[in-house]
Amino acid sequence: MKLRFDESVEAFRSEFLEWLAVNRPPAEEIDADPPRSSAYVPRWAAAFTRRMFDDGWLVPGWPPERGGRNAGAIETLVYLEELNRAGVPRTTNPQGLGIIAPSLFDYGTDEQIEKYAMPLLRGETSACLGMSEPDAGSDLANLKTRAVRDGDNFIINGQKVWTSGANYADFCFLFCRTDPDVPKHQGISIILLPMDTPGVTVRPLTEIVAPDFPDLNEVFLDDVILPVENLVGDLNNGWRMANGSLAHERSMVWLMGVMGMESAMTELLAAAPGLLADLGPQERALAVDEIAGLHIDTVAARCLGYRGFARFVRTGSAPEQSLMKLYSTEARQQLARFAAELLGPDSLRTGTGRHGEAGSLEAYFTTFGTTISAGSSEIQRNIIAERVLGLPRG
Amino acid sequence: MDLELSDDQFELRDNIRAVLDGACPPAVVRAVYEETGTSDELWAQMTELYWPALGIAESDGGLGMGFVEIALLAEELGRAAVPGPLLAVVSQFIPMLAEAGASGLLAEVATGARVGSLAYAERGRWGPDAVATVAVQDGDGWSLTGRKQAVLGGVHADSFAVVARADSGDLGAFLVARDDLVVVAPEVIDPGLGLADLVLENVSATVLLAPDADVAGSLERVTQQAAVAMALHTVGACRRIFEVTLEYAKVREQYDKVIGSFQALKHRFADMFLSVERANAVGYYAALAIAENDPARAEAAHIAKAAAGDCQRLLVQDGLQLHGGIGYTWENDLHFLLKRAKAGDALCGSRAFHRAALADVLGLVPETAS
Repeated sequence: MKLRFDESVEAFRSEFLEWLAVNRPPAEEIDADPPRSSAYVPRWAAAFTRRMFDDGWLVPGWPPERGGRNAGAIETLVYLEELNRAGVPRTTNPQGLGIIAPSLFDYGTDEQIEKYAMPLLRGETSACLGMSEPDAGSDLANLKTRAVRDGDNFIINGQKVWTSGANYADFCFLFCRTDPDVPKHQGISIILLPMDTPGVTVRPLTEIVAPDFPDLNEVFLDDVILPVENLVGDLNNGWRMANGSLAHERSMVWLMGVMGMESAMTELLAAAPGLLADLGPQERALAVDEIAGLHIDTVAARCLGYRGFARFVRTGSAPEQSLMKLYSTEARQQLARFAAELLGPDSLRTGTGRHGEAGSLEAYFTTFGTTISAGSSEIQRNIIAERVLGLPRG
Repeated sequence: MDLELSDDQFELRDNIRAVLDGACPPAVVRAVYEETGTSDELWAQMTELYWPALGIAESDGGLGMGFVEIALLAEELGRAAVPGPLLAVVSQFIPMLAEAGASGLLAEVATGARVGSLAYAERGRWGPDAVATVAVQDGDGWSLTGRKQAVLGGVHADSFAVVARADSGDLGAFLVARDDLVVVAPEVIDPGLGLADLVLENVSATVLLAPDADVAGSLERVTQQAAVAMALHTVGACRRIFEVTLEYAKVREQYDKVIGSFQALKHRFADMFLSVERANAVGYYAALAIAENDPARAEAAHIAKAAAGDCQRLLVQDGLQLHGGIGYTWENDLHFLLKRAKAGDALCGSRAFHRAALADVLGLVPETAS
């Protein structure tokens, strides 16, 4: 147990901060063309990704030829901390960099890595993840999009929904049913789908706030023909790979959650004296107690996350991933709820952008993206109860 | 920041747990509850193992361990709802003696030859503002008059570190022998705590910390240790409540299924687990901040005790509720843990006390109201 990192880790931090000071994208370029979708890559983002790739800062834990520098887990944590603290988006295509590229490195062919994964790392393309369907949300294994073998091709028919970034992505990491006659977990495969393939129709879903910047989409697939070399990994092995993919996703989520909560708390504490000053003593006392409680949640999120991380570094496993996903997203949501309540009628104002300004109801509603997606809070509770606590499946 | 225990710390915890599994099974706690036995033999075993000496500096005859190790001990004592004075000795009396630089006394405490506690709270309140006990200089010594409440381990103690206020308004700390004051032991819901009230009327005392403005800082350091140890003690009881409730849900069958297979209960277990992990993580964060004397120690201590308060609210509530009728009986051992967890919140500043103190540290309370 210790509060501070070793000097070698701090030296790594300093080296990255020096690089970041020189290479970070200019704020005015970000403001002029902000991140608007999880697969939209503005010019500044593409250029920044390329600089990170060339200088070994894109995924520090990877080898240099993949944009890294073989850094350890603690160094990677420090790197993510500093990117967050600087307010610099690491990528505008988190699914591509965080899930799809690493899955291709794990399961893809050399050709697939060269054609699909490497351009993602160089900021040349973006990708989306085709998992959920109208009847396969939390019950992902129930997916029905069908891929039928026809000579050297698959013919694909079906529909995806909630596909983040499909309206901007160059390709999709598509989960399909390739064998309908076996138990549902055993007949799923992953196929790489270029989004400009004939038969692909994308319909953006206007979201609960900021309707001008849709990220979620419906994707309709009508007799889409793809060559069999687009199959990722083994046929009918998609469910096992999906769990690998989601593990990639969840391993990143907690730090973003913690740091997002910390910056929201910092904003709340900065705004609080001014907002509290207008309240009567009883109302103020109630508000102060809520802020104290939310501050405890914020510190606890960091403590839980860093302890889980320390366990991961030592043992290679971290059963707390579900715990952190559940806790950090729900706590953040409660913070956003209260910040809006404290702000009063000003919280009703709209037009504050996709994620909304602190204290806006738009910001509160936006947090539901985190408690519903990537395994809803209810699914996380089931996972904790069954996989961590060993309670039997119902 | 690394909040995971080291290998040595895990080993210490396992050793403590193994000893308590053998020496303090629920039957020993029950004997204290039912007045068919005492904690004396257990105390003798603990002193033979030098547990009182763990956190005392080697130069004062102790084992020189840090506050994280004391926190570990406090948690394990809570887990077994251990009766007797050890928690008071290691987390309240020793920190006060160490703050006072009382080497000779510490050497006696290390061997178990002296058993002491901290007399701080008054009129139901923990905190410097509540201290009304008066200290008057009397020749070379001091004379104390006042009433102290809920002194942890007080029925077992032969010595008390009493916090009192001098004419100047400054607080000081004084050593008083048990024979010189009146110890009143009210009947309380958890007799293992050995809670006592003290009545002092012109009691002669020797000074530990002479009243002056600097004592406030010393007192903060001592009471932070007391509060964080009590937080982890509470969390230890809560984790055991969680474990036994989970075990029960895996074997108790209704409607031809174990009740733990019902989703309504699964989600409550997930939330209980989260609450215990949350309170445990911030508890050790605070223990580490104290061990490293980090500037965040005050804030962290308030967070730890408040989070332990959140934890016991949920775990006592759901732990008892999900046990159903069997948990409502005296014969089942669950209630020792439930009562220890509830007592943990009532002592060393409640959840509300520490949330309010945290708000103060965060600058949320206007000057006029604080």
